[in-house]
Amino acid sequence: MADQRRTPGSQTSLREANRGRIVDAVKKHGGLTQVELAGATGLSPATVSNIVKELSESGVLSTSKSMRSGRRAQYVTLAHASGLVCGIHFSQRHLRVALADATLTVVSEHEMPLARDHRSDNEIRRVGMLLSDMLDTVSAERDELLAVGVAVSAPMDAASGMVARPGILRGWEGIAIADAVERALRVPVLVDNSSNLSAFAEHRLGALRGQDDAMFLEVSDGIGAGIIMGGRGYRGASGSAGEFGHMVIVENGPLCRCGNLGCLEAIAGGDAILGSLKNRYPGLKLGDVIVRAMAGDDACIRAIADAGTHIGVAAANVASMFDPIRMVVGGHLARAGELLLGPIRQVVDRSLASRLAPAPEIVAGQLGPRAALMGALGIAADRSSTFPVVSVSPDLRTALG
Amino acid sequence: MSVAAVDGPGGADPLDRVPVLSMRGISKSFGKVQALTDIHLDIFPGEVVAIVGDNGAGKSTLVKILAGVHPADAGEIEFERAPVAIPDPTASRALGIATVFQDLALCDNLDVVANLFLGREITRTALDEEEMEREAWALLRQLSARIPSVRVPIAALSGGQRQTVAIARSLIGDPRVVILDEPTAALGVAQTAEVLNLIERLRERGHGVVLISHNMADVQAVADRIVVLRLGRNNGDFLAADVGYEDIIAAITGATEHARPMPEPVYPAPRRIGPVA
Repeated sequence: MADQRRTPGSQTSLREANRGRIVDAVKKHGGLTQVELAGATGLSPATVSNIVKELSESGVLSTSKSMRSGRRAQYVTLAHASGLVCGIHFSQRHLRVALADATLTVVSEHEMPLARDHRSDNEIRRVGMLLSDMLDTVSAERDELLAVGVAVSAPMDAASGMVARPGILRGWEGIAIADAVERALRVPVLVDNSSNLSAFAEHRLGALRGQDDAMFLEVSDGIGAGIIMGGRGYRGASGSAGEFGHMVIVENGPLCRCGNLGCLEAIAGGDAILGSLKNRYPGLKLGDVIVRAMAGDDACIRAIADAGTHIGVAAANVASMFDPIRMVVGGHLARAGELLLGPIRQVVDRSLASRLAPAPEIVAGQLGPRAALMGALGIAADRSSTFPVVSVSPDLRTALG
Repeated sequence: MSVAAVDGPGGADPLDRVPVLSMRGISKSFGKVQALTDIHLDIFPGEVVAIVGDNGAGKSTLVKILAGVHPADAGEIEFERAPVAIPDPTASRALGIATVFQDLALCDNLDVVANLFLGREITRTALDEEEMEREAWALLRQLSARIPSVRVPIAALSGGQRQTVAIARSLIGDPRVVILDEPTAALGVAQTAEVLNLIERLRERGHGVVLISHNMADVQAVADRIVVLRLGRNNGDFLAADVGYEDIIAAITGATEHARPMPEPVYPAPRRIGPVA
């Protein structure tokens, strides 16, 4: 707080900074009373009151009457006149949920760790309760929620809407995810693979803006890819294209959790990295490996570099197949930055060195671990703006998904 | 009958990890009731250990021994390899063991800062409110806590926020081990999410965390190691990565016996495959 309070310069810049501070505080907490805002920002109640009034007139914030400790209070939230959309990302060990308005400004967001092999019914119920909570904090009604986008960290089959490959997200196999979520939340639901949605989000908001032939590589516990061809996502015949992590790079190599031998994921995925460090550091998590590697631990740097080299081999193959102009690396392990990107780039450059065109750029994603979540919000927002009427037949939904 | 921790039967840790806290052969009885019998427990820094078990399995008694509420009848406690005694709560605190009890023990009428520094106020000539407020914010920010203001009375906060304040309070004085007794039992979904994230933060900060919970989903989401107690005895010490929900339930209910030390499975070194270059 100490350095946040230091605001040099003129009256105008001070006022501008105070406005920013108030909007930031409201964003962070979802909704606050004016008194709480004064506490959270360190501004005087009079300043808060003035700025809130000004910002609600210009349509940035909205206020409603509320009670706190038995007193009347002004409850301040971000304005969301055009309705809300919700994005949900279920990955192997993590859940993220966000509410945003039609312009994809996130008004409330939650994340939490999940158990390995968590069960879909539990988590869908949990999201339902979480969503009611979140709608409350931004003082929105249930009917303001227009659509929900769900990102699932497993390949999806377009025809059935189920996870297309067993062993990857075990608690979610054999259920039609869109229908199950729709039954629980009672709003139209769109489901897609998290890498596809990350690619979509990076294409719209992040590092792939303006690049119409590009790829997104997700490197987390699992490995996946989203392919952008001609400015649109490429999904393949059955909808599960982009299974980058399950490309076989070593014939008869180690057993992958998908049941195959020698998949990239079994060699360079999160579990493989932890496995290679098991004798030296038991009980690490992927996040710890990254932190240690950044602090200069040679074994962890080496493990990440090895993974990068293997990913580079696969990326080079894919690059000569699809000829993307840029490959964005995202996901949990991308936090390691150049420790991961360097080896990938090196292998890709070397493999494509004899080409006339330069090898694709390998860059880090801009949206970080939230890429898939933003993508889920994106498809939900697109869905609600294209079809303002809520009832859409299921086959049309599949066609869109 | 003894149960060694995951470091193997020899006692010497082949990996040179030093447990920050270890309990050896702890027993405790209340009159004729034998609450704990020959309990072994190791806690390593930067590790979340979940203690699970049925009602009356002895989880809370174990925690109370660590917190200094009850002294143990028999057995040894080592803190960073040095034998220690924990006769009272002050001794526990002084060692660097912080306990957050189920009822949180916060003062509802005092504000967040006053609660955080209760009994440990920073004083110069008078109370240094500004310094305390600054430290309170610093601490809450490190925990990514969503507290709107540190000057509101505790009564005005939600359950999750209160739990956050209670946990933050336990961190003042930089303890080595933080013990959380049923931190999510009375919380809603959003607050549970906050507390689970908080446990991950504690782990990242290098604290040893002991988590007692009945909720298997929460336990499996954050724990590195799961210690099962049954009828006051150890009944299994699992690496969370290696066990499923059913294995733990089986150990809790006594369907499987894990009273003998479980040998560490010896994994062959993974085959490294070089780049195809």
